[in-house]
Amino acid sequence: MKPYLQYLVILLDDTSVAYCHANNPLTERNLMPIETLKKAILFGMKQNLMIQYVYPDYELPAEYSEVIESIDHIKIGKDVQVLNEVPKAVTTDNLVLRLTIANFIAHQYDIAALLPQVKRLNICLTDIESFADAQQEDYKKALATLNAVLVNLYKSQQQPQVNILTDRLTLTEMHNCEAGIGNITVAPNGKFYLCPAFYYDEKMGISNRMNHKTKDASRSIGDLDNGLDIPNKQLLQLDHAPLCRICDAYHCNRCIWQNDRLTWDANTPSHQQCVIAHLERNAARDLQQQLKVAGFQTGEDIKEITYLDPFDVKETW
Amino acid sequence: MEPLSQTWKEGLAENITFIVTKDCQLACKYCYLVGKNEKERMSWEVAKAAIDFVLEHEYDPIFAQESVIWDFIGGEPFLEIDLIDQICDYIKSELFRRNHHWFNSYRFNFSTNGINYDTKKVQDFIKKNKSHLSVGITIDGTKRKHDLNRVYKGSEKGSYDDVVRNIPLWLSQFPNESTKVTISSADIPYICESVLHLFELGIHAVHINCVFENVWKEGDDSLFEKQLMKLADEIISKNLYNESECSFFTEFLGKPLLCTEQNQNWCGAGKMLSIDAAGNFYPCTRFAQYSLRDKEAWIIGNIHEGIDNNKLRPFLTLDRCTQSNPECVDCEVAEGCAWCQGENYDAAKTHTVFQRATAICKMHKARVRANNYYWNKLYRKLEMEGKREEFEKSHPNVKPEIC
Ligand code: SF4
Ligand code: SF4
Repeated sequence: MKPYLQYLVILLDDTSVAYCHANNPLTERNLMPIETLKKAILFGMKQNLMIQYVYPDYELPAEYSEVIESIDHIKIGKDVQVLNEVPKAVTTDNLVLRLTIANFIAHQYDIAALLPQVKRLNICLTDIESFADAQQEDYKKALATLNAVLVNLYKSQQQPQVNILTDRLTLTEMHNCEAGIGNITVAPNGKFYLCPAFYYDEKMGISNRMNHKTKDASRSIGDLDNGLDIPNKQLLQLDHAPLCRICDAYHCNRCIWQNDRLTWDANTPSHQQCVIAHLERNAARDLQQQLKVAGFQTGEDIKEITYLDPFDVKETW
Repeated sequence: MEPLSQTWKEGLAENITFIVTKDCQLACKYCYLVGKNEKERMSWEVAKAAIDFVLEHEYDPIFAQESVIWDFIGGEPFLEIDLIDQICDYIKSELFRRNHHWFNSYRFNFSTNGINYDTKKVQDFIKKNKSHLSVGITIDGTKRKHDLNRVYKGSEKGSYDDVVRNIPLWLSQFPNESTKVTISSADIPYICESVLHLFELGIHAVHINCVFENVWKEGDDSLFEKQLMKLADEIISKNLYNESECSFFTEFLGKPLLCTEQNQNWCGAGKMLSIDAAGNFYPCTRFAQYSLRDKEAWIIGNIHEGIDNNKLRPFLTLDRCTQSNPECVDCEVAEGCAWCQGENYDAAKTHTVFQRATAICKMHKARVRANNYYWNKLYRKLEMEGKREEFEKSHPNVKPEIC
């Protein structure tokens, strides 16, 4: 199905936890004014959006609680725990682990040990841009380590999800980050951004690629008073992404913020992004084969392919 | 006569462009180079490092083409003739020393305003490199048309007289060369007389195009159509079609296009390399800062660090339909409607090369109408004279050159 706007991410504070690829460089507290929060919730209600609050690490003033609870929501940083290091044990079902590639590789066994403790683990790599082709083997091996544990857990009737391995098993079409298409972020200043990373960039004065007409670093795409205004919105859609639309790494995040930083075009992924996603896709294929042998049905067969970057097999005109 | 659209090794040659200077004697009114200046001249060290980089990466996909065209542009490239001579000597000796696959399969290409064409240094250079050289002189047409735009820097004095005196010498050295003419709003009334004048000067191939920038005024399209029809009448009635060609008229124009089979990008940006005085690399000159109004330069690397292939990926995945709006995708006369990737980028709402600028739309549609008129009229005449077959044999259908 063509993605449509479904989620509103509300950054409650400038120091709200980073939960995706981009680190949050903002260190000074700047709480969203309660009136802005109310407006954001109202916007979400009227647009029929599921609210995702992103929490800072301090207690919010008491009066926020009632407003926050006035609508169905998910609390990122609370319901969903976000960690930047691999813990020894977890107390939550749903964990986001934000790691550098080197840390992911170095801690593969510790991460594998967490799998029996969670229902869902999201691994989020924070330095995709630095991924070197020479790291491919190590990354593959780390994924295989997790696969081995997953297969055993399946056999003992436990089926934890790991975004970079199990999501691909059931997907039959692209299911990506969909910033600006499936979800939108509102920051404490009451302005919309494609995702929190674009807000961080604006605050840090980094570039202004998505909205060049303003000579400052503005990266907002509208505000709560005037609504959304996404320039070149079609370029965020899959059918306007020449590489991704021919690709079957359906679980790939297809991070448009990374695209924008690394290739300078939001619809064009970097080599690193594609290679990482394909190593994961191929690891998902291995997992599928192993599960099959163990008697589990896991959706359509993932085909064997010979490339790691769709750029290498793109159509030439 | 060589067909108008055949450039040397078209499609098989890599284009490497040296922006040797951002200075020029002229300040043409339509010039897209918003950041021309006298300071940014390429040094020998930068030029040498760029050549070394390119030749050292002989087997990289971007440099794997069987041939190479070394382009020199500016500003006015011949202002830097000493440097150019040194560059060309070095390229030749390095191609030989490295036993490079481009040895003997290279060309030096110049677009010049023609003002210092007859100077000793330029002439010595031409003699030395004649067999591997193409030189295009830009002349816009009649004196009044040329001098309307192509004026000296700091004055309103036109440059026509200083260019036209060099045309006979140029044509004696490069009899098959064409000239490039650029049409902006104010030039429309002079199109017919200008093209005819160029034919009279002995230039039999006239590459002419409308600027891609958003300069067109209300009514320009119908004026343009009338000018082209007048030109069509003149070419046909004076039988000029046998030995002369004007790129406005082509048989590859004005049909609908399919996204499935006719989806190629118009422009070669990303498959070429441009190098400026600072040693920065660009997908095409139009992405250097001095060519851009609103956007920052699209630098894809430099002589020290090489090319960041990620920055080339958007260019190498571009296709016609992804960058076109629905009106262009469905357009019934889309064939031959051109764009410039640099202008697309400069005019886009976001930082992208995937948003096609369509300022040229009404001008293309007017051109299509006049072009249909031309071919209908010409073929009718040839049929009546029993000469159509002969004409078609001597004028093979060649697709128009891109970008
Ligand atoms: S792997 Fe590359 S081409 Fe495929 S979805 Fe991800 S970013 Fe797009
Ligand atoms: S710019 Fe105009 S003429 Fe050209 S393809 Fe688009 S709609 Fe057709």
